[in-house]
Amino acid sequence: MSKLKRIVIFGMLLVLTIYAKAQQENLIAAQTFLQQGNLDSAKHYIDAAVLNSSTANNAQVWYLKGFIYKTIYNKNEKGNRQSPSRLAALTFFKKSLSIDSSQENTQENIKNIKYLATTLYNDAGASLDSIDYKIAIKNFEIFKEYYLLVDPTPANIRQKDIDFTLAIASLYTRIFESDRKEKTEFLSLSKEAYNKILLLEPNNINANYNMGILYYNQAVNLINQQDYDIDIVALNDIQDNSINLFKESLPFMEKAYSLDPRRRETLLGLSGIYFSLNEFEKSNMFKLKLEEIEKQK
Amino acid sequence: MFIAFFKMKKILFILLTFVFFSSYKVVLPDQSEEANAHVKAIYIYNFTKYIEWPQDYKDGNFVVGVMGTNTALLNELTKMASSKTVGSQKIEIQTVLSAVDVPKCNIIYILSDNSAQLADVAGKLKGKSTLIVTDKPGMAKLGSAINFVIFENKQKIELNKANIDKYKLKVASTLVEMAIQIK
Repeated sequence: MSKLKRIVIFGMLLVLTIYAKAQQENLIAAQTFLQQGNLDSAKHYIDAAVLNSSTANNAQVWYLKGFIYKTIYNKNEKGNRQSPSRLAALTFFKKSLSIDSSQENTQENIKNIKYLATTLYNDAGASLDSIDYKIAIKNFEIFKEYYLLVDPTPANIRQKDIDFTLAIASLYTRIFESDRKEKTEFLSLSKEAYNKILLLEPNNINANYNMGILYYNQAVNLINQQDYDIDIVALNDIQDNSINLFKESLPFMEKAYSLDPRRRETLLGLSGIYFSLNEFEKSNMFKLKLEEIEKQK
Repeated sequence: MFIAFFKMKKILFILLTFVFFSSYKVVLPDQSEEANAHVKAIYIYNFTKYIEWPQDYKDGNFVVGVMGTNTALLNELTKMASSKTVGSQKIEIQTVLSAVDVPKCNIIYILSDNSAQLADVAGKLKGKSTLIVTDKPGMAKLGSAINFVIFENKQKIELNKANIDKYKLKVASTLVEMAIQIK
């Protein structure tokens, strides 16, 4: 080997060594700053470390990055329901999980994903109001994406899906009820959400009852909002539409009744539907059942 | 040192549990009795547009007598009376306890629980111009001019034109055509 070749190889090795040392130093610095609680610096060094090809596929490095971002979330962004550091941390733990062939960090990655996903779920619940409901939906979708990584049991995620959809459907109904003329889109959204639940769980009593009530109240309000001036011919058409809505309501309410024949609201609902369909005998039958149940209390 | 971090990483993990979504609420049904009463009030108000009373019934208040018990209906009629007029006449709702008490009124509405009094009321109103409205199957054949009935789940009216003419009232053909005619 010529002298020049040896110098070139030595030079390359030297560069590689220095470079590798620099990466190692980045990691050590990130870790040190994390332990000192200097999160900005820890973030700076870990961001630099993962850019390098020698560490880009190291599960431990990605775990450390996730851990630093999770700590930033916990320290600085806990009150932010759209915390960017939390989302970043989740992607880093996910990356670590996917490349962790030795499975050295699997349990830690899973724990951390579970923890952050749970905060997303809880934040989704806390955002269920007329202002922040879109944040709730987004957080819940992200929660599902990550929760499935750590708990792929279909029944668990399905139950969470039902709980959340029931809550959001109920919220949509409340928004619609707050302004029935201007917020009509929320009526459709509410029905859509209940339909989703009923596809997942046809025997969900709350979804059946509330779906029945949506149609029921729509039918009642269709009549009640008419001015006394309305012509009898037009009233006839409105009665037709109202009756169709009561008929739409009936199977949901009957289903809810079959699932719990002693539930007060359902008995009230059925009595009201039959009354509105001018089937007074049936209406009275449910009224009497309700009275009997209330006497027994 | 880097490896050491991972060996030391058994940090205290804060136990975080799922919070149950509490925003689900049971919505109570709206009052169907109100809707039913509202339909009847709309009909009653429409009668004032399709029926013409003689001149001496166009002075003072337009009186609607109600015989029977139905809180939702009375509330609806009262609401109607406070927001509408018949021409320049204010609408006045009067509760009537028995046939003897029937006042001079434009409309007397006998609710189903008082249907038995129809004959007495009709007798009391002989020679007068009061529209008799009832709310029980068969009443249009027994003396009422307009009777509320249920047809295919809907609120409809039966109309006995002879019982309208008898009280010197004029009815528009539109109303006659819309009603189930009874002879």
